[in-house]
Amino acid sequence: MITLENVSKTYGGTSGIVALRDVSIHVKEGEFLVILGPSGAGKSTLMRCINRLVEPTSGRILLDGREVTSRRRQLRAARRDIGMVFQQFNLVKRLSVLMNVLSGRLAYHTFWPSLLYKFDQDDKRVAIECLTRVNMEHKAFQRADTLSGGEQQRVAIARALAQEPKVILADEPVASLDPKIARQVLTYLKQIAGELGITVLCNLHQVEYAREYAERVVGLSQGTVVFDGPSGKLTDDILQQIYYRDPEAADDDG
Amino acid sequence: MTTVDESVAAALQLEAIRRRRRLVKALGWGSLALAVLWFTAREIGLNPFALVQGADHMWDFLTRMFPPDLSYILFLGRATVETIQIAVWGTLLAVVFSIPLSLLAARNTTPLIRIPWFNEHWERLGLHLLVFHVTRMFLNVLRGINELIFALIFVSAVGLGPFAGVLAIAVHATGMLSKFCGEEIEGVDRGQVEAMQATGASKMQVILFAVIPQAIPAFISYSIFRFDVSIRSATVLGLVGAGGLGFSLIKTLKLFRYHETATCILVIFLLVWATDWVCSKWRAKVI
Amino acid sequence: MADPVQAAQDDVLAALVARKKWRFHHIAFMAVGIAFLAWAADGVDLSPKELADGIPKIAKYFALMVPPKWVFADTVWQPAIETVYIAIWGNVLATLIGLPLGVLAARNITRLAPVRFFAKGTLNLFRSISELIWAIFFVAAVGLGPFPGAVALGMNYAGILGRLYAEAMENIDPGPVEAIQATGAGRIQVILFAIFPQVLPQFVTYMLYWFEVGVRSATVLGMVGAGGIGFELVTTIRLFEFRETAVVLLIILAMVTIIDVASSLIRSRIY
Repeated sequence: MITLENVSKTYGGTSGIVALRDVSIHVKEGEFLVILGPSGAGKSTLMRCINRLVEPTSGRILLDGREVTSRRRQLRAARRDIGMVFQQFNLVKRLSVLMNVLSGRLAYHTFWPSLLYKFDQDDKRVAIECLTRVNMEHKAFQRADTLSGGEQQRVAIARALAQEPKVILADEPVASLDPKIARQVLTYLKQIAGELGITVLCNLHQVEYAREYAERVVGLSQGTVVFDGPSGKLTDDILQQIYYRDPEAADDDG
Repeated sequence: MTTVDESVAAALQLEAIRRRRRLVKALGWGSLALAVLWFTAREIGLNPFALVQGADHMWDFLTRMFPPDLSYILFLGRATVETIQIAVWGTLLAVVFSIPLSLLAARNTTPLIRIPWFNEHWERLGLHLLVFHVTRMFLNVLRGINELIFALIFVSAVGLGPFAGVLAIAVHATGMLSKFCGEEIEGVDRGQVEAMQATGASKMQVILFAVIPQAIPAFISYSIFRFDVSIRSATVLGLVGAGGLGFSLIKTLKLFRYHETATCILVIFLLVWATDWVCSKWRAKVI
Repeated sequence: MADPVQAAQDDVLAALVARKKWRFHHIAFMAVGIAFLAWAADGVDLSPKELADGIPKIAKYFALMVPPKWVFADTVWQPAIETVYIAIWGNVLATLIGLPLGVLAARNITRLAPVRFFAKGTLNLFRSISELIWAIFFVAAVGLGPFPGAVALGMNYAGILGRLYAEAMENIDPGPVEAIQATGAGRIQVILFAIFPQVLPQFVTYMLYWFEVGVRSATVLGMVGAGGIGFELVTTIRLFEFRETAVVLLIILAMVTIIDVASSLIRSRIY
């Protein structure tokens, strides 16, 4: 489904900070993949390279066998197929919950109807179905800033689902939530991967969640993949490698 | 137990109702706004065609201004300096007047009027804040009247010249500055005030050590902003004879020396632009 | 051996005393400042003597205004209302011109640096030239009356509002923008769905505030023949009709106060 080939990213010119170094990952359709690593390991950059919110310095990214490029029209189509969920939810606070979810449908339209904030009946049906999937349909008409953090994140998931994507990227989706709500949100994400066959890539920094939810884990440390395998094989040794890197590499950490 | 489809249908229906209601509301307000705009446009003779028709006048005016007579800059040195001097003293006087006035114009620092056995009724009527209310009203008068109007009045009271301009700017800026700072003083952090009260400090000491330090940065920043505005005002005070570049502007205009008028406008633009740049750097340094 | 705590305290006290000491450059700085102010005061004829002379004159001037000649209100109320109309249209034009320029000037919306530079430059030009100078220009173009006044106000305020709009848009939370971009939305859709909803309340606040200021500015446009109450004001002052001037001033104050109150009521309701 998604293939990353030797993706590298350096911020701030050639002598800048190296965020990703030759990352190659292949993700199958419908897989629930957790990318595990401490903060600053390059997890967010990796995700943003996939939908080109960040332009990678080198390497290729293939979605469904086609390369994701930065050419405007192709990029919009690619982004439509990739939903994204953020740590800070990133809902538009003054718009209603429904309008937030409907904004996931924008890539299906030109800007003329958007000029009047207009969507057609099918869009609305999809949006409400997505809200129902995360059990938020009863709050559809409230303003987004009246919701709690967990509720906002569920709405954000519904927004990603409304794109009818093939892939969902979840960038630290539970880092701002307390454990109970976090498990609830992760359960929704996992269900989605299972029931709708959507591939989910999820960034986490907590090992216990990775063990609990992941089928497969990619361990990232200082922009390099140090582990790739089923969550059962996450031994203390490997965790040591992910979280406490060897001293010789420590000085070029961003 | 409702099925998913049913609840989706119900939500869609609800959405349609809400949208209709929103549409009605938007149409209502929209048509009201349009009516107001249409009516006022007619009253003031707003007419886009007049602009088009006037275009050749404007073009004529512009071509007679171009090219600006750059040698006239030499004659504008004195007026430019005077403009700056007016703004400096106008703002400075306003800053000086504002220190006491903004303390009087804040509920938490204004002197309260108390009458021993009558206090309860007195306070219910808000009369213990009499000084505050009178000050605010006075400041509103200063704020409400444009500096050019003050300049006009002062010019006819004390004669032509920059002195009237300084007073005009000082008076109007005092109103602006004091009201703003009064509100800033009312918004200070209560915690620090309480901490100071808890040490047994007197009211005056609380104001000096807990209230004023908190309000100072905003006061300085706003004073700098006011200087920026004063420069801009000082460029037009001359239109009513109160000194500065505006006087050269109107003089050259009346004498139909449009090339020189263009130079005046150019100098005004450069002065305002430079002041804006300096003031924004200065403010960034203070905050 | 001295007590270390005592020694440390002495150090601190000594440092405090040293800080209080006047250094040469402090004194020099003060001297330059005072000399500058004295020079500026001289340039604008500001002196204690002038003040002692002038302030009684001004007081006398105001004293002559009492009692106001109330019947004059019959002549002034219409120009007063016209002033408000000028302010309304001035601000509408300001937003119509200023908002597109503001969008073009905002760093996080317009990627092309030359376009941004051009928009910022235009806004600066509009802003730096006072509404009165604009009014002179438009009066010359379309003749006397409130219409050139409204256009002049619109030009000046387009510069002011456009810059404020641009700054408001530059200071929004970038998260929702990123989120809407990630859905595959186009540039204009991002502006409509992620940026405008965030800045809308601020825009309304600015519009209302600058409407208030606009009414105050519009009161002087009449001085150059651009409509409103300023014409009556100038005439009465030039003719030394003090008691009529008083009426004009009171009507201006009443108008400004009513608008202040109304707009603060609206502002408190929009959030």
